[in-house]
Amino acid sequence: MKDRAALREVERRVWLRTFEHGLWDLAVGLLLLSFAVGILTEFYWISAIVVPVGLPVMRGLARRTIVPRIGHATFRGRRKRSLAHVQLILAALALAGGGMFAFTAFATREAAPEWAIWVRSHFIVAIGLIWGGALGVAGWAVDYPRLYAYGGLLFGALLAVDLLPTGYPLGHALIGVGGLIALVGAALFIRFLRRYPRHPAPIDGADDA
Amino acid sequence: MPRQQGEEAGFEIDRAIHEPARLLITAHLYVIESADYVFLMQNTGLTWGNLSSHLSKLEAAGYVEITKEFVERKPHTMVKLTDEGRAAFDAYRRQMKALFEDLPDGSTSSTLTRK
Repeated sequence: MKDRAALREVERRVWLRTFEHGLWDLAVGLLLLSFAVGILTEFYWISAIVVPVGLPVMRGLARRTIVPRIGHATFRGRRKRSLAHVQLILAALALAGGGMFAFTAFATREAAPEWAIWVRSHFIVAIGLIWGGALGVAGWAVDYPRLYAYGGLLFGALLAVDLLPTGYPLGHALIGVGGLIALVGAALFIRFLRRYPRHPAPIDGADDA
Repeated sequence: MPRQQGEEAGFEIDRAIHEPARLLITAHLYVIESADYVFLMQNTGLTWGNLSSHLSKLEAAGYVEITKEFVERKPHTMVKLTDEGRAAFDAYRRQMKALFEDLPDGSTSSTLTRK
C-alpha cells in the first residue's frame, strides 16, 4: 500500500499548499481584533459588520494575490466534505451566538436556577470553550494543525480572564490573541508573496504556447 | 500512439503515463478534481511550455479534459483527469507494483559478485 500512502502524501502536500498564504490566519486574527475593538470602544456593531464586509474583501484579495501565484484547484470527496464541515461549524457558531443571548435572558431572571447563575458568572470560559473548540474542530476538518494552536491559545486566554485574581479585561485578552494570530498570518502572507512571485503572462491556455 | 511497451516481455507499460513529467501531472490530477495551469506548474515544477506539451499528449490519449472558460474577461483553463485517464493511472499503478514485486531480491547476488 506504499503507492497509496505516497499518493495521499501528494494530495496532503497539495492541499496544505492552498493554506500556505496565511490569509486564513489573518482573517481569524482580524475577526478576534474586531471583537476586541467592539468590546473596548463599546461599538459592538463593528463585530457584527466585520464578517459580511471582511469576507468579500478576503475573497477579492485571494483572487487577486493567491490565484495568480499558486493557481486554483478543486478537490475531491474528503476535502470537499471537509469544507462543507467548516460551513456547518460556522452555522453552528451563529446558532451558538443566538443560544447565548437566549441563555443570558434565561440566566438573568430572578427565578433562574443556581447552575444557570454559576454558568453566567463564568460566561467567558463558556465563550472560550465554544470559540476555541470551533477553531479546533475547524482545524481537524480542514487538516490544518495551526488552528488547534489558535483554539488552545484563545481558550487559555479567556480562561485566564476568568480565573486570574487580578483580572484583566476580555478586550485586552482578545487584542493579545487576535493580534498574535494576525501577526502570524501577516508574516505568512509576506513569506508567501516572496516565495511565489506573480506568474508572468501568458499564464493560461495550451493554445498560446 | 505507441502506448504499450514490453508486451513481448510479458508486461505492458502505458507510455502516455510512464514518462516522468506526465506521471507527475497524472498523479497530481489523480488526487484532486481539477486544476489550472499555474497550479500544475507550481506543484510539478514544470515550465509552462513543458506542461502545455505534456498535457497535449495526455489529451490526445484521452486521459485529460481541458476546459477553457473566461473569468472576469481573462482566459482560464482547467484540467481534469477523465474517467479513462483515472482507469489508466490505476492500471499503471497495478502494473508497476506487480512488476517490482515480481523482481528477485538483487542484494544477495551483488554481495556474492563483490566477493
